[in-house]
Amino acid sequence: MSLQTAAWLVLALPLAGSLVIALGGRWWTPRVAGWIGTVAIALAFVFAVIALIKLQDLPEEARVATSSLWDLVNVAGVRIRLGIYVDPLSVFMALVVTGVSALIHLYSVGYMSSDRGYTRFFAYLNFFVFSMLLLVLAGNLALLIVGWAFVGAASYMLISYWYRRTTATSAGIKAFVINVVGDVGLVLGTFFIFREMGVLDYGPLFEGVQGAFDKNDASLVAGMLLILVGAFAKSAQVPLHTWLPDAMEGPTPVSSLIHAATMVTAGVYLIGRLHPLLEWAPTAAAVGAIVGAATLLIAGTIGLAVTDLKRVIAYSTMSQIGYMIMAVSAAAYVGGFFHLMTHAFFKALLFMAAGSLISAMAGEQSLDRMRGFRKAMPFTFGCFVVGGLALSAFPLMSGFFSKDALLLEIGQRGGWYYALYAAGYIGSVLTVIYTWRMIYRAFWGEPCAEAAELEHGHIHHAEHPTNPQTGEIEDTEVGFPGEAHHIAEQTWQMRLAMGALAVLSVIAGVLFLPFGITEWLANFLEPTFADSIVEHPANDGLEAFGLVLTSVVAVVFLAVAYRIWAVGSGRATAWQERFPSLHRLFVNKWYFDELIGLVIVRPVAWVGHWARDSFERIVINGALIGGTTGIVRAGSAAVRALQTGLLRSYAGLVVIGLSAILLYLLLRAA
Amino acid sequence: MNISWYLVVSALMFSLGAVGVLIRRNPLVVLLCLELMLNAGNLALLGFARMWADGDGQIFAIVVMVVAACEVAIGLGLIVALYRQRLPVDVDELRELHG
Amino acid sequence: MTIHLSIVLWLPLAAGLLALLVPRAAARWVMLAGALMTLAYAIVIAVDYDTAQRGLQYVTDETWIRTLGIHYKLGVGGLNIVLLLTTAVLFAAAALWAALRDEPAERPGLYAALMGLAQSGVMGAFLAQDLALFVVFFDLMLVPFYFLTLVWGTDPEKRGAAVLKLFIYTLVGSLLMLVGAIATGVLAAEGPGSVTFVLSDLRVNLISSGSQHWIFLVFALAFLIKMPSFPFHGWMPDGYMQMPIAPLAVFTAILSKVAAYGFLQIALPLFPDAAVKYQELLLLTALASILYGSAMAFSTTQARLVLGYSSIAQLGFIVLGIFALDERGADGALLQSANHALVAAPLIFVVALLASRAGGSEDLRDMGGIATKAPVFAAVFLVLTFALLAMPGSANFIGEFMILLGVFQAKTAIAIIASLGVVMAAVYALRLYIRSMHNRVGPLVQARELSAREGLVLVPMLLVVLALALYPQFALKRGERAVAGSLGATKVVQKQQDLVAQAKARAGKDAAP
Repeated sequence: MSLQTAAWLVLALPLAGSLVIALGGRWWTPRVAGWIGTVAIALAFVFAVIALIKLQDLPEEARVATSSLWDLVNVAGVRIRLGIYVDPLSVFMALVVTGVSALIHLYSVGYMSSDRGYTRFFAYLNFFVFSMLLLVLAGNLALLIVGWAFVGAASYMLISYWYRRTTATSAGIKAFVINVVGDVGLVLGTFFIFREMGVLDYGPLFEGVQGAFDKNDASLVAGMLLILVGAFAKSAQVPLHTWLPDAMEGPTPVSSLIHAATMVTAGVYLIGRLHPLLEWAPTAAAVGAIVGAATLLIAGTIGLAVTDLKRVIAYSTMSQIGYMIMAVSAAAYVGGFFHLMTHAFFKALLFMAAGSLISAMAGEQSLDRMRGFRKAMPFTFGCFVVGGLALSAFPLMSGFFSKDALLLEIGQRGGWYYALYAAGYIGSVLTVIYTWRMIYRAFWGEPCAEAAELEHGHIHHAEHPTNPQTGEIEDTEVGFPGEAHHIAEQTWQMRLAMGALAVLSVIAGVLFLPFGITEWLANFLEPTFADSIVEHPANDGLEAFGLVLTSVVAVVFLAVAYRIWAVGSGRATAWQERFPSLHRLFVNKWYFDELIGLVIVRPVAWVGHWARDSFERIVINGALIGGTTGIVRAGSAAVRALQTGLLRSYAGLVVIGLSAILLYLLLRAA
Repeated sequence: MNISWYLVVSALMFSLGAVGVLIRRNPLVVLLCLELMLNAGNLALLGFARMWADGDGQIFAIVVMVVAACEVAIGLGLIVALYRQRLPVDVDELRELHG
Repeated sequence: MTIHLSIVLWLPLAAGLLALLVPRAAARWVMLAGALMTLAYAIVIAVDYDTAQRGLQYVTDETWIRTLGIHYKLGVGGLNIVLLLTTAVLFAAAALWAALRDEPAERPGLYAALMGLAQSGVMGAFLAQDLALFVVFFDLMLVPFYFLTLVWGTDPEKRGAAVLKLFIYTLVGSLLMLVGAIATGVLAAEGPGSVTFVLSDLRVNLISSGSQHWIFLVFALAFLIKMPSFPFHGWMPDGYMQMPIAPLAVFTAILSKVAAYGFLQIALPLFPDAAVKYQELLLLTALASILYGSAMAFSTTQARLVLGYSSIAQLGFIVLGIFALDERGADGALLQSANHALVAAPLIFVVALLASRAGGSEDLRDMGGIATKAPVFAAVFLVLTFALLAMPGSANFIGEFMILLGVFQAKTAIAIIASLGVVMAAVYALRLYIRSMHNRVGPLVQARELSAREGLVLVPMLLVVLALALYPQFALKRGERAVAGSLGATKVVQKQQDLVAQAKARAGKDAAP
């Protein structure tokens, strides 16, 4: 099997799985649909591994393969092939996507088993994986945009999965529309680049950019900034992030797969993929890095204040992706993608464990209600601790090595990049605090009623399932877990998936250890980033300093969090009272929703209403229609006035007319 | 004899007929005046036919007479119908087709 | 095999007239048979059509009115081959819809005859290669819709007024266009004996620049009214609300495209000076249509009007593409004409099906929550919704991509503003879907799955949409050369203007020191 065939199969299997599940519809029993989906993704993972092996067989300088099926467009100098581009970066992404997806599919087989829309769920989930792989493997910018929009659509469908909830459908439309803003940015950015270069395929694009543009050419910078808008929208970067917390309306495996491990990292992939262009437009790259840094700080502070369990993890995701965007924009590619991978593991794990907790609470997501689950759910607790340690970069966990590699690579560039480096460490402090705030509040202290019940072997059932956001009683005809619900740690599929991710969260760091102990990941990605024009001078002192600082931050603030939330109660409240305005700012998420509402949504809605109520009535119906009909009416009135019905007047007119003609002829003759 | 005399008589007849159509309100009289106008035309046609010494004008005159006969048949029928419907026999009163 | 375009042109009308004669119960099936035979013949034409050959194929050219130089000249070329096929597909779908749902209950024979006339009119407008013949068909195709609305319209109280509005609007456009067409023929002629309306002759003998200006505006006005485009859309809301479903589907889908086609077939090649001069005016009108149509589409609650206003916006994109005066934009506009037609028609059917499940109401506030009971319906609707909002991956995206690319090359700022329309399309299309399919069950809703008969209409159309999404090059390839030909004259004008401007600049530079 050739490399290309393997790559095409990676792409084809999830699509086939999705179609088989969707077309089978209700004919599949729920379990079968779930297993079809899981097997399709697992096979895709196998083929991704085969692609990896085939790729390593190639000589290092030629580790790129393209293949295309047919032309979607080939007119007037625009050529869009249905083709793929296989290189170390795309294979790396395909491996992460299919690997994590396979585990999450496995988890979903158990988690969603009592849901009525089971087959629909797996059809969507497989479609999502297909879309993500299309995005990753696409061979040109246009096809990348297709994959980009498909993941947006899949994300929309999965966020609105429980579509009887108005909160879910409005969250879905919000996510979709913000993503379309991103798509438009990508399209326009592509136009800027296409105008000068006339190609869309990656190969010629990367090779030709330095010839087509001057360094930091205004047109290239504009194009790259627009493309970055696409990346920001998909990766939930400030100010296009407001959809991500709302996206937590989707079922937890969706949050785990799409809004933590894979889709939201598409922006990071995009920047990495287009690095030859971005490096040639340093202004745009700087903007990307600054936005990433701002996001990691802002999201971190909001994570300190929100009380919804899934939203805490969502803001944490935003913050971690801020790190990655900052890194790849600052040309810290290996660190960025290393962190992308480890983050996929531990964040997926955290979401899965959160799903387990939410099941035990019968759908309740508020941290204010959770307490003391440590004894009731030891497996979940273990997963939370492993995931939390990895997230807060505790020494020797995978997150420790990846975050360290990331910040080191940024620091190595020196100059103003030290500001980003510092922001990264401030973000680390926030990360440790919000992570352990969440864990201490949920697992320490006196067990709450649900936890106590679980300790006696009963799962808590709510009297009526209610929407955790509004408290509204759910319409259970469709799509809700209903009466019977499962707890993650009680079915083997979920235990297996969580266990595998927990192990990966601990050990994945070995792929790239500091001081050159292991460099597998860097060596693997080297061919893709070999053309980078940015230098990273080695700096052993900085490397050692970083390792120590990361460790100190993790350990010290873990202890601080313990003091605040595990030992004494009321300390947190005291802090809130000390800085009331700051607390209000964080709780209200820096007022981004309100700002967007004020600047965009309300004016647009106002224009729409004005158009409907005033303009349409006065100008279109009044002036234009009224004017036209008025002219026609006046004309017809004039004609009608001649139709007296008097026979003699008609005869008179005929006579006068004839006489006039005769007179004319006579005069002309004379 | 000079063609002018025929034409003068024809024109006088035509004018008489036209004035009649314009000033009389009884449909019967209007119809009669129309006949007068048609016959004025016939006279002119015959005069020209004689002047050129060929039959074309006479053929036209015969066609006009046929048309006039048809017209009288329809016109008189309409007037009889008006009487039967007890409608006023006055063209000024019959103006249902006004706009 | 010899192909006669007169067959494909008059077959629908013949079937319609036959339907007048047969018993009531058979009339709808005769109409369907006529539409399907036309479709079959159109497919034969499309298969037989030689893509490598330049110029028109299967030309029929008879002198119609010798003294006026009017020819009965038909031909198939790159501009109309795909639209011809689309027309046949859509009328077949409309006939199928009527036949399977036993619509209308009263006077089906007359209905079939009018639909046949409509189809012949539309096909005639696409096939005509003579300006006078085009004008005749352009007006002829509207006539049956007046009667269809007047007899079978939604609301007996209001349909008369709606038809009157439609009639007056389109009549104004048509009359102006007639004047323009006559003026073109007369002005282009060298003497009284050599008047001709054949397009290929008129393309060679261009009329003077001064006359082009007013004639172009007259034609543009007629086309913009027909589309409709902002601000000439006043007839649209009432007309759409009153028209019966199957006629509305073809009306919104394909009649508007005759206007777009008219720009490429007539306005650009015959009046290139004026097209260049008024390029910005038309672009701004299109931009206003996009923004205004989108804003209205997400503030109305009538499902039909969401589609109506969205088609104002979509046609705005098509005009935008044409008046980019760039091959890419015009290629995209031609593709988008077919795409929008193929998506808009099934969506009109979807709205009718939604209404039949919501107690006959087409108000979004009465709908909701039927996806549970109708997953197949929901899936079909979702795919069509994504196609409508031009999601990447659909052929509509390729169309919009090419259009915006063309405009971007010509007028960057306009392309950037127009791209707002893409975002707004996402809002109104998804709003329509969510409010009808998702959320809580609406007050009047009785959910049920697509029946086999309903599926028989929607699913084939869905497959056509998907097929075109996978291979948009099918339409683009056929249109490419003809589009370049249509734009040729305007390119020459632009080049001349550039040269003049350069010369002036040079002269100015020389004078300065």
